Amino acid sequence: MDQERATDRLDRHVLVIAIWAPALFSAVLLLHRGIATGGLWWIAAGFAALLAAYAGHIVANAVLGTGFSRGEVALGAVVFALVLAALLLDVLVAPEGITDAVWPALALGMGALIAAVVIYLVIAHGPRRAFETFDVIRDNNPRPASRLRHRGGRR
Amino acid sequence: MTTLLAACLLLGAGLALYVAARVARLGGPPAAFLDAGRDLPGWTACFLLPWLVLAGLGLDRHLGLVARYGLQASHVAVGMALVAMAALLLWNRLWHAARLAGLDTPGEALGRYYGSITLRVAVLALALLFALPFAADLLSSAAMLIEAVSQGALPRAAGIWLLALGLAVPAIIGGWRAAVLTAAFLSLFLFVLLPGITGFAEIVLPGPGFPAAPIPVGEGILWDRLPGVVRHVAGIGKAVPAEGIFTTLAVSSAALALTGIVLSPAALYFGQTLRAGRALGLSTVWLTGGLAAGLLVLCGPVLALRMAGGVAELAASLQAEEPLAGAGFLLLLLLPGLMLAGFLVTAGALIWTRDLVLRYLFPRLDARTQRFAARVSIAVGFFLMAFMAAFLPLVSAVLATVALPLAVQLLPALLGLSFLRWAGRGAVLAGLTLGCLIVVFTEPPGLILFEGLFVDLPWGRWPLGIHSAAWGLAFNLLLVLLSAAATQRAPDRRERDRLHDALLAATGFRIGGRGLLWALALIWGFLAYGPGAILGNFFFSDPIFAPGPASALGIPSLWVWQILFWLLGVVPVWWLAYRLRFGRTSEESVRPIVLGPPAGLRPPDWLAAGIARVAGRGPRARPPATRAPRRAGRR
Repeated sequence: MDQERATDRLDRHVLVIAIWAPALFSAVLLLHRGIATGGLWWIAAGFAALLAAYAGHIVANAVLGTGFSRGEVALGAVVFALVLAALLLDVLVAPEGITDAVWPALALGMGALIAAVVIYLVIAHGPRRAFETFDVIRDNNPRPASRLRHRGGRR
Repeated sequence: MTTLLAACLLLGAGLALYVAARVARLGGPPAAFLDAGRDLPGWTACFLLPWLVLAGLGLDRHLGLVARYGLQASHVAVGMALVAMAALLLWNRLWHAARLAGLDTPGEALGRYYGSITLRVAVLALALLFALPFAADLLSSAAMLIEAVSQGALPRAAGIWLLALGLAVPAIIGGWRAAVLTAAFLSLFLFVLLPGITGFAEIVLPGPGFPAAPIPVGEGILWDRLPGVVRHVAGIGKAVPAEGIFTTLAVSSAALALTGIVLSPAALYFGQTLRAGRALGLSTVWLTGGLAAGLLVLCGPVLALRMAGGVAELAASLQAEEPLAGAGFLLLLLLPGLMLAGFLVTAGALIWTRDLVLRYLFPRLDARTQRFAARVSIAVGFFLMAFMAAFLPLVSAVLATVALPLAVQLLPALLGLSFLRWAGRGAVLAGLTLGCLIVVFTEPPGLILFEGLFVDLPWGRWPLGIHSAAWGLAFNLLLVLLSAAATQRAPDRRERDRLHDALLAATGFRIGGRGLLWALALIWGFLAYGPGAILGNFFFSDPIFAPGPASALGIPSLWVWQILFWLLGVVPVWWLAYRLRFGRTSEESVRPIVLGPPAGLRPPDWLAAGIARVAGRGPRARPPATRAPRRAGRR
């Protein structure tokens, strides 16, 4: 049974890679084109490729009856943070004029990615559970009474 | 561009290696190395089947033909629905046969069902043909393309060995599951690349594209129409019509030849090792008959027009606009061949290991040693394939021409196993022999050999413009029908009936008695790629129901016809998959049976004698014949 589960996990893992690899290739191509030529539509198309891969990932999860793994969430968060940091750094330190034309579009695209994640969480878990996913402060109360339902059913 | 392309290829090889390592670290039973535990996920079929077909067609060659002959060559894409139907019908039945009677490989299925060693040998020979010359030809073409675009920086021979190494290592490490997962992963990548690169080229490249501009073809070639139903020509190499070679019969026979890729031993083995589920329907209806055929119909002429100046020129133009687009275009042409070559060699090596090494040569190996034997087979297979590609490219190219049409000659045998219980061993073998002979003598191997040794034949390749697969299959089927009529009372009929009864009980559906479906499929076939397709030449530009030409359409009438019949072609595939439930496989109603004589360990005498000569040891002693115990009462 464990062997079966491990095989299923690996199959799903490869499917997820298969979904993201062409999307990342397309996104890099389109975003590079957009940044190099200042074409906002290219940048929009680049982010659309990322959103399509995200949608594909959600569909794969739904079909296979799984959710995002911890590794996937961590990788996504780290990559997003790095890209965001790079963008901010670029805006702050780059010579004037280089990023003026494209940074609003890039920021909008990053915002769209965050919005997509939030919308997914709200649809998949509902507003309360989606918030609880990140609400680590609520779990800091060690008293058993904090678990009672009438006290909010913490944990 | 060379650096970027090399980086992309290295990244792909790295991903394949990663997948293989993860598969190897699963630590499953050693036997799963050979067949993935007959539990390959359904999504692999969804993505891999369409690209097996497109790679079998040869995307780069297809685009080259469209650039040379125009829409008449592109019409072959409409026939992909036929390929989808063949895969649906035969893979479903073979999958059930594998679960019902333990017929785990195509050779085992045909050999045990018909009780024929000859059919086992024929399947092994076919697997070898696909694994060595056919795959070597694909690899050689890929290496030539890399040499051309790198302006000689990576010579063809070096490219071949590097590419073969990149394909071999993951297969040796991860076995069948890793090979299939990697191929499916690449297929999904290609599904994005084909429309993506086409759209990108149309947006950024200067000048009008198709259909605003006509495809520039040679003098006299009819780029926007089919040049007739059939032409009285001797064939390629002797005489070809000036208007182009793709008559309607050429198109329909080429589509028939394309089914050879799903009838190849490797593809059948893939179908047998899939997990139960609904993936087969999804794969054949929506992704092969729908998406892949549509992409080929819509993107083929558009991309081919841009390729009029050659592959390297288009790659350079795209690279000037966006470096990654140039690399993406080259990947689009390279990856299908590489993916198919890796798939065919791995499957061929595994089939040879199971059907020859483990069954006859070393039948008493334990599971771990079986896995080692499979690894050695895969390594040897890749080495021989790379050797042929590097040092025998012409021989590979000549032999590769017969692989697909010879695979089509297995169709009557497979139909007999799947549906036609009246087709017996003698009939199938007679038909197969005749069909193969006709294929060989209407393709370069037979023509070169015969004309080199004796006299010139009056026909060339594909006489009357009809593909050798169709010539062979027509005579093959005729002989099977005639022979089957004379061998209805053959002693093996009972065994055949047992499997068909078990198949019927397991699946619960028959293929007969569906008049509307078959009428619909025949009418569609007649109009889509049969003789009726000739109507598409002017149907929408000069309609017979209107007084004058309809110039407002603005696009060639034949292209509209192709799009229309691509869409209509999804209907019969959908009907088969969902209404007749061929798109679904399930183990719920499977009641295993023992078919034919039990799998003996003793090799056939001719094989044992051959081994004895080579190995210098005597054939294995036969076990003593066991007699039925005498009844106590008998004296």
